[in-house]
Amino acid sequence: MIYKILLTIWMAVIIVAAFLYTEAATGFPGQTSRILFFHVPQAWVATFSFLLSMIASCMYLAKRHVKTDYLALAAAELGFLFCILATVTGSVFAKATWGSFWNWDPRQTSIIILLMIYGAYFALRSGVPDPERKRVFAGVYSILAFATVPFLVFVVPRITASLHPENTMNPANPGMDAKTLTVFLGSLFAYSGLFVWMLRLRIRILSIEGLKEPKFVNREPDTK
Amino acid sequence: MFAVSTLIAVSFCIGSYRIEEAERPFLYSVLLWIILTFSALSGLARSFVKEEEAGTIDVLKLSARPQAIFLGKLLFNLTLLGALELIIVPSFILLMAYQINFPGLFIAMIISGGLGLAAGTTIIAAMIARASARGALFSALSFPLLLPLMITAIKGCERAAVGIDTAGWPEVKIAVAYFVIMITMSLFLFPLVWEE
Repeated sequence: MIYKILLTIWMAVIIVAAFLYTEAATGFPGQTSRILFFHVPQAWVATFSFLLSMIASCMYLAKRHVKTDYLALAAAELGFLFCILATVTGSVFAKATWGSFWNWDPRQTSIIILLMIYGAYFALRSGVPDPERKRVFAGVYSILAFATVPFLVFVVPRITASLHPENTMNPANPGMDAKTLTVFLGSLFAYSGLFVWMLRLRIRILSIEGLKEPKFVNREPDTK
Repeated sequence: MFAVSTLIAVSFCIGSYRIEEAERPFLYSVLLWIILTFSALSGLARSFVKEEEAGTIDVLKLSARPQAIFLGKLLFNLTLLGALELIIVPSFILLMAYQINFPGLFIAMIISGGLGLAAGTTIIAAMIARASARGALFSALSFPLLLPLMITAIKGCERAAVGIDTAGWPEVKIAVAYFVIMITMSLFLFPLVWEE
């Protein structure tokens, strides 16, 4: 309980600090660079979440513990949610700086394919009635999809050069000033805390729903 | 049949002179790959559903190792795609008056693209044979996995048509790498799908 109250206060402080404490980065029109404090942590959480989902899928396929499948599903769902948030905030930034919401920048192309992959993942889960078969298929698909990611990284940048700001706004770059870095890391921490909270909640819901599942299923009918 | 009707419809609507000269190589390669992918998907989806419907799947499970079955189905799909490409590609080139300056690269791209297409979809076909709403699910699952391959293949065919000499044919290499990775992953994962 205390964890959730602290997280709420922390999140509020970060939002206020993002607008009042830091100065807008130079080289961007107006105040647009402030989206850094929201867009980048969302994208990081989404990436981490998809990675977690893939690892949990591998664990499920190896050991067949239902808990790991709950983790894989919950992480995929949250990753999808944060990915949509990152797409929307990125799109708003694109409109403000590049002039259009969507222009098939390599980053936008790869994020839309990522969303399509996980959309298909959920479609597969709802398309297979047998609970255990569903879990195995979802795990297999998740690993297959992960295998195509390197191709996106190599293929997509070949089409056009990206307009995505890398150097000026990358935290690893010394160009970021101390105030910005503090708030950015604080925001990353807040988003990660929010992610852990939501993940645990979702896993608990999935475990309770799992209790309703029949223990033994007649496996023939759904093949017809 | 689906492939031929799409081809005729596209050719009838666009004709060979509707699109401007400069735009042709790119737009034609997009059209060609759309026709190829869609007609391939409608056939590839059936490879495991047939066994399921005929009831032969249980005997297959008893009589052969999963890897052998996967490779057999892959070979069948490759043959199917090869036949499809043999019909579609020459007629597309003739009907649309598609000017290709680098036939070698073009043929290599069509073949390697076909290899990747079959490799990426065979294991998905095995999964959807056990699901409800098979057709819709097959396309939904295949497209995200095939997109990087499609983008590469379209780019490669465009370059072959324009005649840009790229050393080492990077697009063909990417498509072959995709083929190899997909087969390796499928050989690991297929036994899990098959025994379910």
